[in-house]
Amino acid sequence: MLSFIVRRILASILTLVVASFIMYVLTAYSGNPLQDLQASNAPNAQQLIGQRIERLSLDVPPPLRWFGWAAGAAGCIVPFATCDLGTDLNYTAVTALLPNAAASTVRLVSASTILAIIFGVITGIVSALRQYSAFDLGMTFVSFFLYSLPSFLAAVLLKEFVAIDFNNWLSSGDSEIGFVATAVIALVIAVIMQALVAGSTRNRVIAFAISAAATFGMLYYLDAVDWFQRPGLGAIGLALLIAGIVAGVTAVVSGFGNRRALIGAGVAGVLAYVSYFVLQGLFAVSTIWTIGILGLATLAACFVIGWLIGGPDRGQVIRVTMLVGFLSSLLVIADRFLQAWPAYLASPRINNRPIATVGEQTVGLTGDMWLMGLDTFTHFLLPTISLTLISFAGYTRYARAGLLEVMNQDYIRTARAKGLSERVVVTRHAFRNMLIPITTIVAADIGVLLGGALITERVFAISGMGALFNASLGRVDVNPIMGYFLVIAITAILFNFLADLSYALLDPRVRVK
Amino acid sequence: MTHMMRRRGRALAGLAIGTAAMVALAGCTTSTPETGESGDTEGTTGGTISVAQTNAATALNSSTPDTNLNTNGMVDYLMGMGTGPGSFFYVDPEFNVVPDETNGTVELVSEDPLVVTYTLDPEAVWSDGTPMTTNDLLLSWAIQSGYYDDATFDEATGEVTEGNVYFQLAGSTSGLDTTEFPEIDAEAGTLTLTYGEPFVDWNLVNLITKPAHVFAEHAGFGSAEELATFLEETPAGDPAAPAEPNEQLTALAELWNTGYNITAMPEDEGLLVSAGMWVPKDFQADDGGFISFEPNPEWRGEMQPSFDELIIRFIGDPNAQITALQNGEVHVIEPQPSADTVSAIEAFGGTLIQGAQLSYDHLDLTMNSEVFSDPAVREAFLLTIPRQQILESIVTPVDPEAEVLNSQQFVANQPQYEDAVAANGYSDFAEPDIERATELLAGATPTVSILYNTANPNRVDAFQLIQASAAEAGFNVEDAGSPDWSSLLGSGGYDASIFGWISPGVGYASLPQIWQTGGGGNYNGYSNPEVDALADESQVTIGDEERITEIMIEIDRLSREDFYGLPLFQTPGLVATNGAVDGVVYNGGQTGAIWNTWEWTLAG
Amino acid sequence: MTNSTTESAKTTGEGAVGESQSSLILKRFVRNKTSMVSLVLLIAIFAFSISAIGLGPIPGWWPLDYRNPLPLVDSGRPTLSVIPEWLGGAGITLGEHPFGQTRIGIDYFAATMRGVQNSFVVIVLLAGVATVLGTVVGAIAGYYRGWVDAILMRITDVFIVIPTIVVGAVVGRMTGGLGVQFLAICLGLVAWMGIARLVRAEFLSLREREFVEAARVAGASDARIIFKHILPNAMGVVIVAASLIAAAAILLETALSYLGYGIRAPESSLGLLVSDNQSAFATRPWLFWFPAFFIVTPALLINFIGDGLRDAFDPRQKRFSVRRTKELPENVEQRA
Repeated sequence: MLSFIVRRILASILTLVVASFIMYVLTAYSGNPLQDLQASNAPNAQQLIGQRIERLSLDVPPPLRWFGWAAGAAGCIVPFATCDLGTDLNYTAVTALLPNAAASTVRLVSASTILAIIFGVITGIVSALRQYSAFDLGMTFVSFFLYSLPSFLAAVLLKEFVAIDFNNWLSSGDSEIGFVATAVIALVIAVIMQALVAGSTRNRVIAFAISAAATFGMLYYLDAVDWFQRPGLGAIGLALLIAGIVAGVTAVVSGFGNRRALIGAGVAGVLAYVSYFVLQGLFAVSTIWTIGILGLATLAACFVIGWLIGGPDRGQVIRVTMLVGFLSSLLVIADRFLQAWPAYLASPRINNRPIATVGEQTVGLTGDMWLMGLDTFTHFLLPTISLTLISFAGYTRYARAGLLEVMNQDYIRTARAKGLSERVVVTRHAFRNMLIPITTIVAADIGVLLGGALITERVFAISGMGALFNASLGRVDVNPIMGYFLVIAITAILFNFLADLSYALLDPRVRVK
Repeated sequence: MTHMMRRRGRALAGLAIGTAAMVALAGCTTSTPETGESGDTEGTTGGTISVAQTNAATALNSSTPDTNLNTNGMVDYLMGMGTGPGSFFYVDPEFNVVPDETNGTVELVSEDPLVVTYTLDPEAVWSDGTPMTTNDLLLSWAIQSGYYDDATFDEATGEVTEGNVYFQLAGSTSGLDTTEFPEIDAEAGTLTLTYGEPFVDWNLVNLITKPAHVFAEHAGFGSAEELATFLEETPAGDPAAPAEPNEQLTALAELWNTGYNITAMPEDEGLLVSAGMWVPKDFQADDGGFISFEPNPEWRGEMQPSFDELIIRFIGDPNAQITALQNGEVHVIEPQPSADTVSAIEAFGGTLIQGAQLSYDHLDLTMNSEVFSDPAVREAFLLTIPRQQILESIVTPVDPEAEVLNSQQFVANQPQYEDAVAANGYSDFAEPDIERATELLAGATPTVSILYNTANPNRVDAFQLIQASAAEAGFNVEDAGSPDWSSLLGSGGYDASIFGWISPGVGYASLPQIWQTGGGGNYNGYSNPEVDALADESQVTIGDEERITEIMIEIDRLSREDFYGLPLFQTPGLVATNGAVDGVVYNGGQTGAIWNTWEWTLAG
Repeated sequence: MTNSTTESAKTTGEGAVGESQSSLILKRFVRNKTSMVSLVLLIAIFAFSISAIGLGPIPGWWPLDYRNPLPLVDSGRPTLSVIPEWLGGAGITLGEHPFGQTRIGIDYFAATMRGVQNSFVVIVLLAGVATVLGTVVGAIAGYYRGWVDAILMRITDVFIVIPTIVVGAVVGRMTGGLGVQFLAICLGLVAWMGIARLVRAEFLSLREREFVEAARVAGASDARIIFKHILPNAMGVVIVAASLIAAAAILLETALSYLGYGIRAPESSLGLLVSDNQSAFATRPWLFWFPAFFIVTPALLINFIGDGLRDAFDPRQKRFSVRRTKELPENVEQRA
């Protein structure tokens, strides 16, 4: 194992060196770095051209110039050497340009990846389990459609219809959903739900009726309490949602047959619910670290609960309690964020138009972590969605195909023949094996997303690495491009490495040599 | 027993962990409980105005070659650094040089020899409270004059072959390089410059740029006075006898050259010292970032801003600017105008403020190319150019009032333009005259290749229209367009070129560049002895605007007679607000819309 | 109950039923309505674009050129009408400029059709080059393992660490002016890594199967085992990946044009048209939506075709149905 890792690291460095050489030469030959000066009618243009050639050694052919760059870049790995990635055309050190840009991009891309995996895999699994149902066909169409949508087109549509229209609606003062819209939304959701349930006509009708009524009632309630101006889950809403989580998690992970798991989940849920009342005072003075510690404490508490209640199937019960605890605390946190919403809306810099179309933050806005958290949320919401859409389709397709593939394997049939319930077959036997191909996709997808960020960052004016790359390629500014390359290449290599590792862990047949 | 102990040990461990967690928790909270209600801790109620710009700011100094970008120029303008209120003058939308006397005055003492005196107001002060002194003026002169440089340049490549260049400048040192060490009266706060040669743009020399006390501190001088003494004692550079690099000058130059480049909000407050009405408050680099300003607490000028935060956001995508304006995230935008931009802004009820930029597109014929060495062919080709049609396709949808540009020297917003058009005769080529062109060609079908920037839709469209129209007269127009057009300029591999010049608006130093034989910007081999003489004369004409105008009109007329080429159109410009800001006035110059922030008010 | 019989036929009689298997696949594909309709539509769009403006020197039935500026008719609005006169419309007519005109009066229908043609060139060349290259590299690496695999995968890694769009931007900037074909092939040369990795993974697992062992014992050459025995089994993966690449090809070209590194004017491409006219989104929407339609539709159709192909190649996925397995016991119970 250790030698595997060492050899992979050495190979990765070699990969990086070769790739950087290709990238450097390609970029350098892609255009003319003196363009702006040659087209200038400044009296000293010639002198400035000379200066730039001298500073950036533009008179050295690119393949040779690469060695100079590589020598400087090597300093970033070797301890005690100075890290020198060169300068851009404006003589600003690349090492000064990168950190902020990389932070924005990594934040955007990681959020999108996680969302795409969660939603993609869930949708894929449901699609596979309901193969050729209306839901499956519908999701097939939707995912292909999203995949076929150029990302800037998606971004433009999101801005136009989500940001502007939602903000207009919210700031119009009369932010009510209205009867017609409520009815339409309820019908749409009901149609989706009945397709999901599938089964006999009777089941479908029941599902349709229940979900239509529930949605209608909920939207009507939201309207009645003016929810979008003063949102919150409230004590009752939270209780209902936590109860839902307790039931849902238990049903999926262990089944209601496992009494201990159900009790553990219930205790964890109650704990989270109680913490909602206890912690409000602490929340008011919280920082991100407080929340982190609280989160760890919650998980630890849930672990202990699971351990104590666990009995013979301790591992499973612990999983249930921790999952319930985690999801329920998320709700509690979400509720606290929602409580900050009215203050956020009322801020003169927001002016009742919360969903942003450009940038990463409202310039000059100050407040506690909840307010700033909301601000980050409203700014990253649309870019994250538009980036998620790119890879969502891939995950649904591969998850669906993977599960279908696995469900036909002999061992699944054996499991079924043993009389195991469908839930156990899917969650215990199929799911794990389905993840094998997915890991490969995740690794490849990171690269795609980092590339996709190029466009998303431009459309949403996020000062990430994509913006840096764009501006630099336009001017044939090689050093910042190489800085950008280094960051994404290392990310991609890292993820590939992790994929190979998890591949080996998930599939013992693939030997790690 | 052991059992009990183990249990107690566990309990203790649990207690310890719990206590540690509580301590950590307490340590990780904010010290002062903030109620979620008062989100915005804004003191006054002056409000915020947010402006979008396409390019990101990269430095708090726009005068070095590396930082000479329009957004950096705006930052300088707002801070009164070399231009803008707070320095000696600013430029208004009609390209008048307007003196600002908050911190001092400029006076022309004599024309021959050219002597100019700069006088500081006794109460002049930097934003950090330090009084302005003649030391500041002296430093500005030292930077801009290249007095200490002793470098020799390679004529062909422009590289330094020997000696030192200390302060890097985006502009040139020409003009100030002929001045002697200034006479200084520290008591009276005056600095007097004596030029060795007449210099046409003397009134654009601004000696309030950067604070001497900040430079002194950075370069290790005890005080600004010590810095001034050092400058006085250091001899002028002599290219004939280059010296070893002077350490202290190098230290000073380092701050000027790269010290003001920013990639994040600088921690060194000295860099933020401003002479104008605004002081930088916060900054985030790159597309998507911003720079924000707060009012200068020491500002004593008559012009006072009525709001208390100005934000310039960097949004590269023009469509994103429009959506952001519509969504109220920015209040003023300056997008690259197009018909669709205009109607999209109109569609949501934004306010349009239109004007024309200083840049103009033009078609130049390569005078020494095979096909165009014959003036008759040149005339015939110019007669086929559908200038009106190009205008109507590209500019009219944005600005219905726009007309074909009829001068190579002035743009329509300059007062001299009307006189120039009356005299130069470019209006003869208003509409294509295919018949006359065919006649001139007398059956010949010359092939003409045109160089243009394929990445610029305006140039591509202009090329296609010219190609179609010239074909009617028998010209065979070849596409020599390239995204790398600029490196091909002057290479002679084409017969005509379409590209744009940015008219300086104020100042005349660039005149010989374009029009004189062998000038740096004379890419089409134009050579006319009369024009050469006029261009020379223009550079030594002091304080006589009328004579300069005459010279330029004459050059305009001569170029028309030589069938030099045709000006096509002036690039339309656009500022839009979402109605939240009043008082925005279009400015086609380098400063853009933010030139009159003191007149801006928040509506409602 | 048919499960076990076909399954065993598949594993034991792999080589023997070679031809009949491909006809089986074809039959299965033809039976898939969604993909057949998609295929027909895709071909129809392509044929329409060729017949409209011709191919190379052969003129089409549409008289206008995608480069010629003409006087603006009705300020460039589209003259296409699909509402018959008796419904109060202008009749079903193409009119002078069915898709409208650009600001200098170029016929937008001709430009869009030219863009469609170029799109297809990009799809075929880019996806073709990438798929062939990726499959061969992946197959060889996965089959031989050892140092061959190591070297090939390191080469793949070299390319994979640079996102396609980034190389694409650089390559596009260098070659965008050299024509669509050149751009497409160059992009294909840097887009094969995904397929290579998938095929390799598939080969790694397939080569351990019994039928490969059997073929090897029977004395089949490596090439034969790779291409006749393993590849057909890996075809499902290749086809799905190829269809995703083909769809991605259109989007890659669009994205590059949006960033300004793709095909350049006066040549026309859908990406170029959409990105040039994205500011017309709210005001002259036809300039935006016509090319956008021709970007999204073929991409969508190709995905459906790929899906159908996958089902045809890999019928195992077809037969599983939870519903059936769920309902069966119920029925049994009811009967009992």
